[in-house]
Amino acid sequence: MDGKSLSDYAVEYGGKKGAQYSEARFVSSVDENYIARNGKFLSIQEKPTKGIGIRILVDGCMSFGSTDRLERKSVENLIDSLIRSAKQTRRKEPIRLSEEKTVKKSWKGPVKVPFKDVSDEEKQDFIKELDKAVKQGTRKAIKNRIVFLSTRKEDKFIANSDGSRINSNLSFISILTVMNADVNGKREQRLLGLGSTSGWEWLKKKRIKKRIVKEAKKLAKTVRNAKNVKFKKPIDVVVSGDVSGIMAHENVGHPSEADRIMGREGAQAGESFYRDLMEESEIGKIKMGNDNVSIIDDPTMRGSPGYYLYDDECVKAQKRYLVKNGYLNELLLNREYAHKFGTTSNAASRSNSYSREPIVRMSNTFFEPGEHTKEELIEDVDRGILMNSFTEWNIDDRRFHSKYVGLEAYLIKDGKVTNTMIKRPVLELTTKSILQSIDAVSKDYVSRMATCGKSDPMQPVPVSVGGPHLRMRDIEVR
Amino acid sequence: MERFDEELLEMAVDEATRSGAKEAIAELVEEDSSQIRFSNSSIDVNKRWDRYYLDLFLSKGRPLSLGRKITTLTIQDPNPKKIKERVPKETRKLEDLPKSKLYWGMDNNSHSSYPKVKDLYDKRIESFSEKAPKLIEKTMQESKEAGAKKVAGVLYFGKRKRGLLTGYGNGGTYKTSHCEATVRSFHESGSSGQNLVVTRDLSDIEESLLNAGRKAGELAKKSAEAKEGKEGTYDLIMSPTVGANIFGSLLSGANPIMWIAGMSCLKGKMGDMVSSEKLSVRDDPLVDGGMNSRPFDAEGTPSKRTSIIQDGEFTGLINNTSSAKLWKLMNWKKLKFWVRPKTTSNSELGQIGMTGTENDPRTLIPKASNYVVEPGNYSFEEMISSSRRPTIYITSNWYTRFTNMREGKFSTVPRDAMFLIKDGEFQRPLRNLRLKGGLIEMAKNVVEIGKELKQVKWWEVETPTFIPHLKIKDCKFTRARQ
Repeated sequence: MDGKSLSDYAVEYGGKKGAQYSEARFVSSVDENYIARNGKFLSIQEKPTKGIGIRILVDGCMSFGSTDRLERKSVENLIDSLIRSAKQTRRKEPIRLSEEKTVKKSWKGPVKVPFKDVSDEEKQDFIKELDKAVKQGTRKAIKNRIVFLSTRKEDKFIANSDGSRINSNLSFISILTVMNADVNGKREQRLLGLGSTSGWEWLKKKRIKKRIVKEAKKLAKTVRNAKNVKFKKPIDVVVSGDVSGIMAHENVGHPSEADRIMGREGAQAGESFYRDLMEESEIGKIKMGNDNVSIIDDPTMRGSPGYYLYDDECVKAQKRYLVKNGYLNELLLNREYAHKFGTTSNAASRSNSYSREPIVRMSNTFFEPGEHTKEELIEDVDRGILMNSFTEWNIDDRRFHSKYVGLEAYLIKDGKVTNTMIKRPVLELTTKSILQSIDAVSKDYVSRMATCGKSDPMQPVPVSVGGPHLRMRDIEVR
Repeated sequence: MERFDEELLEMAVDEATRSGAKEAIAELVEEDSSQIRFSNSSIDVNKRWDRYYLDLFLSKGRPLSLGRKITTLTIQDPNPKKIKERVPKETRKLEDLPKSKLYWGMDNNSHSSYPKVKDLYDKRIESFSEKAPKLIEKTMQESKEAGAKKVAGVLYFGKRKRGLLTGYGNGGTYKTSHCEATVRSFHESGSSGQNLVVTRDLSDIEESLLNAGRKAGELAKKSAEAKEGKEGTYDLIMSPTVGANIFGSLLSGANPIMWIAGMSCLKGKMGDMVSSEKLSVRDDPLVDGGMNSRPFDAEGTPSKRTSIIQDGEFTGLINNTSSAKLWKLMNWKKLKFWVRPKTTSNSELGQIGMTGTENDPRTLIPKASNYVVEPGNYSFEEMISSSRRPTIYITSNWYTRFTNMREGKFSTVPRDAMFLIKDGEFQRPLRNLRLKGGLIEMAKNVVEIGKELKQVKWWEVETPTFIPHLKIKDCKFTRARQ
């Protein structure tokens, strides 16, 4: 029995056994992994994986399970055990799912050159050439260079008891570089992730090699030139898309996840400070930041790391304004939490494997670009810093108290970026102070790939973080 | 375990050797695991995973060559037909691969016996899923009675059968059971407490879960009406949960792979004092009930203990055969030529991908088993009463991130109950502080070590760690002032 027929059968069998809702997700994937250090290969692997994940809702209680044994009998056994465990469970408030349109669609990612059409030699050569270019471009400042090149081809079929059927083919390519710069005993480190839901052509089209070498040169410059500078008074800070992207993701994206707000992630990934805000007022009326602040999560950006057209509950993907003109505007919802909030899902349900339950996730999260140029943001700063990239960062589990340590950062004086590089400037700020300090947003947009972690077992999913430059006024920099 | 077919191990190794592989490791695993996640004092989801797979590590190359060609293939739901189809094909593909600079050979000695490891399997796991939902209900109730207004958490349990056979005839088969729980209780917005249960032995599981629920509830209540903490330098008492996270980051650097990757602040410090002389830590795959305890590693090498830090001195790296050889080669100037590189029995077919699931490819790497910190002489109460200087007690933390792993500079966010201790007594609960420091500097500042070990493994701690409460002097705390 093929994966699609087995999924259809699972849904039918779940219904027969008394499930209110059943859903089967068959995933067949091939992962390729190339790891090299200083141009020499450590590991090259290819791994095909197949399996089916099944969700069952019985008497308002949810069960999820998966198996790699793709036979009717093992699927039946799994569903029987899921129904048994759901029936052993008692909930005061039964789980219900929002009503959604029934859809039967196929979609695929934008691939011009499939990975299987590229020889192993070409993939290896790319890594060797990249390493050589980084080494030469940085005058040997980056002595330890690790490159992970990963490709993934994923065919997915989702069937649910509402009658929806979604078939998708998605390819994913990513490069993670770990660069250790070491000059005269001074050290800096950068982990840079770039990725796309497209084929091998992405590497050339987006000039990936050139971009990594450029970042490596900046790291080499930082380790050679950055100096400790103390700021006694608050100053203005201009952050690049790299930094604004991580802020959008951590300070606004995560607290917008409805499951987190309602406490479902309480034991591990944590809750959300939005809960307190929503007890005092309602969505649309909660002032988060200045009028020029809008933050978007958009899975429909073709080729982006977080790209999809239908989520893992068969709901059509859509652009979401999490914050619009300074006001909390929309949450990230799956069907369970859409029902709790009395609305329909906005398609934020994702799972990273057949063996993981779909949960509320981000996709591509960013500040909406404004009208200014980057230069206009800087020319109105008397004394401040330009933070182009970051290193250490963290945030509390309600997503309010955050810290971002700058990596490549420059002193701004009298409206101009100087050659003075600042060593590891620290922004330790609340979400509120970040959003309320932004007075200008640039029109440029740059993004990179990140891997977002959530749930237990951990489900890392590819997302993009990026956006425009932001100007933040009167910021304490340590 | 209904699918496990031990004969597949021999078949896979034979097929690999016949197809031209010089070395082979076959690892057969069947897992049946379950999870119950709960929040808002109610069960959210029951999960079940049913997995059966064969990993086959293959290599080609001469013993004295600089690295060898390697690959690992995984066969899901394996059977003889799949082995005959895939193994020759993958072995042939080895020819086209470049040599891995990471692989220098495996244990080629013959091992006729393996150490006995206690408490690996508890038969009671076989009927545990029937009791589990009720136990969770009781745990939540216990926590509420102790002060929680709502309770969240996860209970993860199951059984696993592992079989191993190497081309040198080493290996065997054994079963394990596991039960891990996190209980996080909330009293009011921003006040919470957490407790863990990590065990293979289910004899006292009900009592352990209820105890975890009660303690989490008590901490949540005790941390209500917490005040903003003040920045500054304090002495610090770390709970085992916090110590396992922070010192786990230090200990993970006692691995040559982390040195090669530039991710270890222990690099170049062998023989140096890297912590207070009070601190001794070992890697211990033989410790009773350890979640990674095992009779042998992935090369079929009998498990043994390895001292990592002894009385403050950095004494050893964990290694597999290959990394031991590589490490010797990289340090040939310092090491005597007659000293043979030795594995520490830490070989594992570890995941090297980015998804954190079974999709990730695997390869043979050195990996820690269980860390065990040598217990000290202090009870927790004595650590509190001896705190004459302003001291902060942290019960849990998350989001430990590094400015630079090579330097070991980091900050981490305390979460759940956190308290200020003055003049030997609890003063008040605190909130919104961040701990910052350097791993080695903090290890050197350990002044008191508790006498009671707790096994820690949870969302923020991957390597099971037996660790007591620790007191560390002169730690820096910051907070978001704006």
